[in-house]
Amino acid sequence: MADAATAVAATEMTVEMVKASQLGMKALGAGIAVGLTGIGTGLAEMAIGSAAVGATAENKDVFGLVLLLTVIPETIVIFGLVVGLLLLF
Amino acid sequence: MLTPEGMTRVLIAATKSQMEPVIREIYRQNLFHIEEFVEKDRKEYEGYRIGTPLPQANETSRELLRLRGITNAFMIREDEEGIPHEKQKNEHLKGLIGKELPALEKDVEELLARRTRLDTQIKEYEQKIEGLTPFKDIPVDLELLRGYRSFSVFSGYISRELHLDIPHEIYTAETKKTKLIALVVSNSDRNTAEQALADAQFQAVPIPDEEGIAKDRIGYYESQLLAVKGELEEINRRLDEIKKEHKGLFLACNELLTADVEMAEAPLRFATIGESFIVEGWVPKSELEKFRQGIHYATGGKVYVYEMDPSEVEDVAPTEYHNVSFAKPTEMLMDVYSRPKYTEIDPTLLVSIIFPIFFGIILGDVGYGAIVLALSLGLRKIITGDEGTRLLKVLRNASISSIVFGVLYSECFGFALPWKPILFSRHLNIGGHAGGHGPDVISLMIMAVWIGILQITLGRILGMINHARQDHGAHRMKAVMANLGWIMVLWGILFMLWAAFTMPFMPDFTGLPPIAVGLNIASIIGIVMIILGVIFIIRDSALEIVELPTILSHVLSYARLVGVGLSSVAIAMVVNFIAIGLIIEPQLESLSAVGVIIIIVGVLVFVIGHLLNTILGVLGGALQSIRLQYVEFFTKFYKGGGKKYNPFGMKKRFTED
Repeated sequence: MADAATAVAATEMTVEMVKASQLGMKALGAGIAVGLTGIGTGLAEMAIGSAAVGATAENKDVFGLVLLLTVIPETIVIFGLVVGLLLLF
Repeated sequence: MLTPEGMTRVLIAATKSQMEPVIREIYRQNLFHIEEFVEKDRKEYEGYRIGTPLPQANETSRELLRLRGITNAFMIREDEEGIPHEKQKNEHLKGLIGKELPALEKDVEELLARRTRLDTQIKEYEQKIEGLTPFKDIPVDLELLRGYRSFSVFSGYISRELHLDIPHEIYTAETKKTKLIALVVSNSDRNTAEQALADAQFQAVPIPDEEGIAKDRIGYYESQLLAVKGELEEINRRLDEIKKEHKGLFLACNELLTADVEMAEAPLRFATIGESFIVEGWVPKSELEKFRQGIHYATGGKVYVYEMDPSEVEDVAPTEYHNVSFAKPTEMLMDVYSRPKYTEIDPTLLVSIIFPIFFGIILGDVGYGAIVLALSLGLRKIITGDEGTRLLKVLRNASISSIVFGVLYSECFGFALPWKPILFSRHLNIGGHAGGHGPDVISLMIMAVWIGILQITLGRILGMINHARQDHGAHRMKAVMANLGWIMVLWGILFMLWAAFTMPFMPDFTGLPPIAVGLNIASIIGIVMIILGVIFIIRDSALEIVELPTILSHVLSYARLVGVGLSSVAIAMVVNFIAIGLIIEPQLESLSAVGVIIIIVGVLVFVIGHLLNTILGVLGGALQSIRLQYVEFFTKFYKGGGKKYNPFGMKKRFTED
């Protein structure tokens, strides 16, 4: 009987456990937000970056401009980071 | 301050006999930006032709070409050490160019030609040695390995055992890795031998066209090589001597001849007709009187200088920055994007103030700021170019701002300083000692959004001013109103948000009594502003409507000020936690010999971690804050595409009149 009672208690969640698991979920959510947006930014910068290097090799004067164009998709990951921060704090 | 240097369009007309004095004078003054004459470009210039170069142009450019050939071979740079600082008189130099320079040039050209010859010889010898080396252990005269009619000779490397059951003669030379053979067989057995060699993975090596034992020949060529190299060294030494002695002369002559060639070719940019010529160009308004007097004095008043009506020609004026000295270095960041048009607002001053502040908000850390400040001051000795110096000055301003914000955030290498954050806390709960409330993310975000709202509104206001100044006719009013429309939509959205939600550091209109359909006065103002704004935008260009979502994305984009900053704080704190909390502190409790080594490792982790984070922080901070200017701020008002003011003349470093 006593064994069965402890087994039942173990399957039931206490309030602390629920809170801890919610915290974990938040952390997961934040991680997914930053991770996926990071991939998005990476994909977008991939094409721009290679074109930028090509353009710079042809004409050094465009370096400033292409650097700028390359960092434009950075906004995506910044949004992910903002969402992540808002989730965590 | 927010406008480029004022320019006046000047027309100079005179007879061809005055051409040379006029060219000399405008070249000396270095103020006149020549507007190049293009044939058949403008009606009022019908019948005019492009001028012909001054008579001495050909000879001078030939002389210059020869001199450049030599200076390039010497690789003389203008900022090299040991170059005399005193300027040389033009007259004196001209004498030298006539007498000394040709002899010197002849010497150098001879030496250079000899050097090229020796270089080829060295290559030749080296190739021969390379071809001979495989045969150096074959003890037969090389001439015995070729020239047979009834025998075939194979020479080359084999990598497997060679099995031959035909009459043959073979010499082998073996090293650790390779096995060279020289095989002689009768022509009738040639096919069998080839088969056997193929089985042994034979790689043919040509027999060198030499006589005697390979080893002896290698010895001979090596001694030859040594002699040639000695000779080459001697030539290089003599060239170095000449370079050291005459470096200043070469540079001064180069400068003088370059100036002469530029002056001689100037008429190619003039308009000529009959016996007279006309040249148009731009002079800064502030220097006009000086320019006029200079021309008058140089030509004895035989030249007509006419100031043109500014309203007709302003659109094509070249742009020269006109900023306070504090903002000068930032002009570099403007040129990277695009130089402002002459009629446009020049936002350099604004950028020079806002850029460091943004950098500070992102990298607000006393420690990192101090490192970057020390770097930007220390590198001044090493980086001397114009661009480099400006970049360092921009970096210096940014790092000072970083230190100031570090004090406000109470941060130094991720540690808290002994006071509470004055602005907002960015301290994260990382590591064993973590406590407190964690970062004040919401407040920081709202601060960032406010910065965005204000900068974008400022950008739109500047856009209104730009359109009012540049546009004409009916379009002018529409364009100005469209910019106002964008401001109204932005603030209308804000009013509606304030009426619906309570947010820290934002006005709270939720408590206002509802007036109609459950909306209070703030919401209604917001709706009216949005509708009016959209109408203003459509009146200018209906397509612009698709850009409406950028209002949201551009404002939210300023959240990077917080996001990038916090990630840099997080890395700093993680480095501290790993280096101190996990590696060093446990060892300090009971110190042992191994412990000392581990502590040293911990210190290394600390130093390298913070070094990397400094680099990341500077790159991130600088790129993100300049990007906010370029993408979010400039797109609201700034077009750029101005011509650089490039006066005809030269800053003389080595010569004087």
